[in-house]
Amino acid sequence: MAMAALRREGRRFAPLISPRPITAVRSSPPALSHEDEGPIGVRYVSTQVVRNRMKSVKSIQKITKAMKMVAASKLRAIQTKAENSRGLWQPFTALLGDLPSVDVKKNVVVTISSDKGLCGGINSTSVKISKGLHKLNSGPEKETKYVILGEKAKAQLVRDSKKDIELIITELQKNPLSYTQVSVLADEILKNVEYDALRIVFNKFHSVVSFVPTVSTVLSPEIVEREAESGGKLGDLDSYEIEGGETKGEILQNLSEFQFSCVMFNAVLENACSEQGARMSAMDSSSRNAGDMLDRLTLTYNRTRQASITTELIEIISGASALEG
Amino acid sequence: MASNAAVPFWRTAGMTYITYSNICANLVRNCLKEPYKTEALSREKVHFSISKWTNGKPEKPTIRSDSSEE
Repeated sequence: MAMAALRREGRRFAPLISPRPITAVRSSPPALSHEDEGPIGVRYVSTQVVRNRMKSVKSIQKITKAMKMVAASKLRAIQTKAENSRGLWQPFTALLGDLPSVDVKKNVVVTISSDKGLCGGINSTSVKISKGLHKLNSGPEKETKYVILGEKAKAQLVRDSKKDIELIITELQKNPLSYTQVSVLADEILKNVEYDALRIVFNKFHSVVSFVPTVSTVLSPEIVEREAESGGKLGDLDSYEIEGGETKGEILQNLSEFQFSCVMFNAVLENACSEQGARMSAMDSSSRNAGDMLDRLTLTYNRTRQASITTELIEIISGASALEG
Repeated sequence: MASNAAVPFWRTAGMTYITYSNICANLVRNCLKEPYKTEALSREKVHFSISKWTNGKPEKPTIRSDSSEE
């Protein structure tokens, strides 16, 4: 009996108070889609709104969890390739050394970034380091140019370094990464850009949670000659015997091109690994935040529901006692 | 005509060492037998879009998409 009275009263107050789930479809949304003032000046959010919010947060959580798993599987596939490619440039570093402090006139900074977003801060760090290199290497009769791989770095560098950009390359990851692809790319860069030193900026993949931005330097053959004369590691080049009737200059040119291609290959693979790893951790923290948000919303929802029930009860009882009394 | 260094034929033809080694690799891949050949050739696909910039203005991007290096 009392329950029937309650339900009847509940329906009469339906536009003011949050509706039951069954009548949710028939209730008029505009009256409930903003914060309602209850009868005694109690302010609460309509449960309809909170329920919609909870539904959308839950679906976002599912999406981010799925993205994390996709990134994890892509990472596994690329990681073995990246680790195997490290063996390509190590002999070059042993032979020719990596001299980031070399002082040359024409610097070209090759910035490697991803095409897709949602991967944390790795692209911003690459761009920051590229800009830092630019500043470091600017001065009288020295110039620095950018070659940009990937949409994300393009968006950031186009904003303030427009006149220093030489080449922009995108859509690199349409096919799975292979040496052929990267070597054709390296070839294009070599043909279009004059350089004394190429500095390749990428994120080296140390582990799933650590991506260190690194710079690899590849010198043009003339600069290698110049550095060889000044001694140091490159000075030992003359102690190598050259077979096959080619001259030292010839060999240096071939070596330098091949070195660039190998270093680019490794850099692109490592950056791809870092991208997937960063995406994994970004999506993971996003899912966790969505879970927290869902908990808070559930509490709000329950509080609102209980408050509305209490308000109804108060009105009914005071109405009943007014009648009696 | 006489140069101090004997430049290899491909260098005089304007190729870089990278182009030369890619062509050689393609020749080796074509020597494979059938099931491995299609696998190897599928690894060779190249696709990217490159756009040269001059004086802060981009030129029209060209899509470099060849299925194999010949």
